[in-house]
Amino acid sequence: MKMLGQILELASSNRVEIPLIEPLLGMLPPPLSELAALPLWKPLFAALVVPGFATLGLLLLLLPWIERKLCARIQWRVGPKEIVSWLGGIIQLLADSLRFLFQEVIVSRDSHRPYFTQFVLLSFIPALLPMLFVAAGTIIAIRTEYSVQIMLALVCLFPVFILGMGWSSGNRFAFVGTVREAFMYFAYEVPLILSVIAMLLVFGTGDPVAIGESGRLGIVLNPLAALVFFIATAMGTSRLPFEIPEADQELAFGPFIEYSGITFGLAYVLAYEKLYVLSALFTTLFLGGGSGPMIAPLGELSGALWFVLKVIVVMVVFAALRAIYPRFRLDQALKAGWSSILAISLLAIIISSVEVVMWA
Amino acid sequence: MGIKRLKMPEYSFGDKVKWHAAAVGTAFKEAFFPHTVTVHYPKERRKFPDNFRGYILFDIEKCINCWQCAFVCPANAIRMKEAPNKKYYPTIDYAKCIFCHFCVDSCVGGALRTTKIHDVAYADVNEMLAETEQLMEPPEIVREDRRYVEYVIEEDDVRLRRVKGQDYLLVEPPPRKEYSMVCVCDDPESCTGCGTCADVCEHYAISISIEGEYKVIRIDTARCTGCGLCVKECPLRVLRLVRREGEQ
Ligand code: SF4
Ligand code: SF4
Repeated sequence: MKMLGQILELASSNRVEIPLIEPLLGMLPPPLSELAALPLWKPLFAALVVPGFATLGLLLLLLPWIERKLCARIQWRVGPKEIVSWLGGIIQLLADSLRFLFQEVIVSRDSHRPYFTQFVLLSFIPALLPMLFVAAGTIIAIRTEYSVQIMLALVCLFPVFILGMGWSSGNRFAFVGTVREAFMYFAYEVPLILSVIAMLLVFGTGDPVAIGESGRLGIVLNPLAALVFFIATAMGTSRLPFEIPEADQELAFGPFIEYSGITFGLAYVLAYEKLYVLSALFTTLFLGGGSGPMIAPLGELSGALWFVLKVIVVMVVFAALRAIYPRFRLDQALKAGWSSILAISLLAIIISSVEVVMWA
Repeated sequence: MGIKRLKMPEYSFGDKVKWHAAAVGTAFKEAFFPHTVTVHYPKERRKFPDNFRGYILFDIEKCINCWQCAFVCPANAIRMKEAPNKKYYPTIDYAKCIFCHFCVDSCVGGALRTTKIHDVAYADVNEMLAETEQLMEPPEIVREDRRYVEYVIEEDDVRLRRVKGQDYLLVEPPPRKEYSMVCVCDDPESCTGCGTCADVCEHYAISISIEGEYKVIRIDTARCTGCGLCVKECPLRVLRLVRREGEQ
C-alpha cells in the first residue's frame, strides 16, 4: 500500500500537463483521480501514447494506405478502394493484417529455422527502443544528453537484423537482396552519421527537448545536412529511388521473400517503423521538433501534436517519392553515396563548424 | 569498322535541378488534381465504339451457308453444324475464339454481326461452345452499371467523361453496300491455258481459244457473275475479282 502511494506520488510529480482534462480528473475522489492520472506519468505516456505505441500503431495503419492512395493518384490510378469505399478504403491495412494473421506461416525447408523465426521478431528491438528517446514536444520517456546519438545508434543496428533475416531465409532472391542491403548500408551510413554530427555540432547537445526549445530550425541552419539526411533516409528505408534491396520487380521483396502470414506482416511494417524513427529524427533535428503555435487547452499535448503532424508530413513526402522516381542501379547508388553525398555531408560539417565558431 | 558507342547526353547542374523540380511539381499537381483514368467497371462501363469486337450474334435469315467464316477463322473456333433443314450453320467455341472478327468481316451474307458485350461468364469450358441457337439471341449478362465513361480528348490529352445512364450494347450493323464483281486475268503471259477455270465456271463465261501457237483465255464479262470460283481454282493465281466498271 505504501509502495503504491509512493509510485502514485512519483507519477503525479512528473505528469503530462493537459489543461483540457484537468477538471475531469479533479471531479474524481483523491485515490481514484491519482490512479486515473497514472497513464499521464510522462515516461509512461511517452512510451504508450505519443510518440510511442499508439502513435506508431496509428501511423503504421495509415501510412501504407496514404502511400498507396497518394501514389495511385499521381499515377492516374485509384488505389485501395473497396473496403469501406465511402472512406476511400482507409482500413485497407487493417484488413490486410487480419489476413496476415490467419494465413499459415510457412518456414521453408532450406531456411535456418531458429534464426528465420527469431530475427523478424528481434528486429523490433531497434525499431521500438528508439521510441523511448523520441521527444514529442516536451514529452519524452528517457531524457538524456545523448538521445539523438542513441537513436542513431539503434537505427544503425537495423541492417544487421535485415541481413540476418535474408541470410537465414536460404533463398537465392533473399541472398541477392541481403547483399544489396549490405552494399546500401555502406552507401548511406557514413553520410547519415556525418549529417547528424553536423547538426549536433550546431545545437551543442543531443537532447531533443533542448533542441526543440532552442527554437532554431535545423533546415535553415544547415540545409546541406538536411539534404544528406533526407537522401540517406530514403536509402536506409529502401524508399523508391533506392529501393534496391527489395526490388519488387526482380527480387520480389528481397530479404523478406520467404516470410509469409503474420511474419510477412511484421517484415512489411519494419521498413515503415524505420521510416517513422528516421522521420522523427529528421523532425527533431531539422524541423524544430514540437515547436509550433501553442494550443492552450492541450497543454503539453500541443507540442506533441505539432511533432506528430510534422512527422506525418515528412513521411508522406517519403511516400510520394515512390511515385516520382524510378530506381537507381546498385552501383549508381554506391557511387553517389561515396562521392557526391559524402562530399555534401562533409561540406555540411564545415558549415556547422563555421557557424559554431562565428557564434562563439 | 568498330563499335559505335552511344554517348550519354550531358546535363548541366541547372538542367538537373530544373527537371527534378518539374517531376516533383507534376507529382504535386497530380496529387491534388489527378487525371485518374480508371473505369470502375461493374459500376460503370466504358463506352465502346460501335465496331467494338465483342460477342458475335448470328442471323440465320441472312446466312447463305458459304462456310467462309469457318474457313477464315484463324483459331479454328467455328465449326459448322448441320441443322434439321440439312443446311450447315456456324457454332462458335468461345474457349478458342480470339475475337479477331475475321468471320464477321468475311461473312458474305452479313449474317454475323458484332455487339459491345464483353463480359459473358461461363461455368466451365464445355459451356463456352455457343451453339447456333445460342448465337441468335444476345447472351444474358448482369448489369450493375449506372454510368458510362467516354474518353474524350481535351487539351491534347485523354480525359474521362462520365455520363449517367446505361450504354447500349447491341449495335445495328451499318447498311451493306454490295458491289458486283467481275473476273479479270492479271497476267495473260503466265496463263498456260489449262482450262481449269473454264471447266469450273457454271455460267460458261470463260473460254480457251487457240491463237497461233498459244492458248488464250477469253472472259465474257457479260456472263460473269463474280462468284470467284475460277479465282479460287486457278493454279497459277493469275485471276482476280475486281469491281465492275462504272461502279464506285
Ligand atoms: S472472331 Fe476470329 S477467332 Fe473468333 S470465331 Fe470469328 S474468326 Fe474465329
Ligand atoms: S460466312 Fe456468313 S453466310 Fe457464310 S456460312 Fe458463315 S455465317 Fe453463313
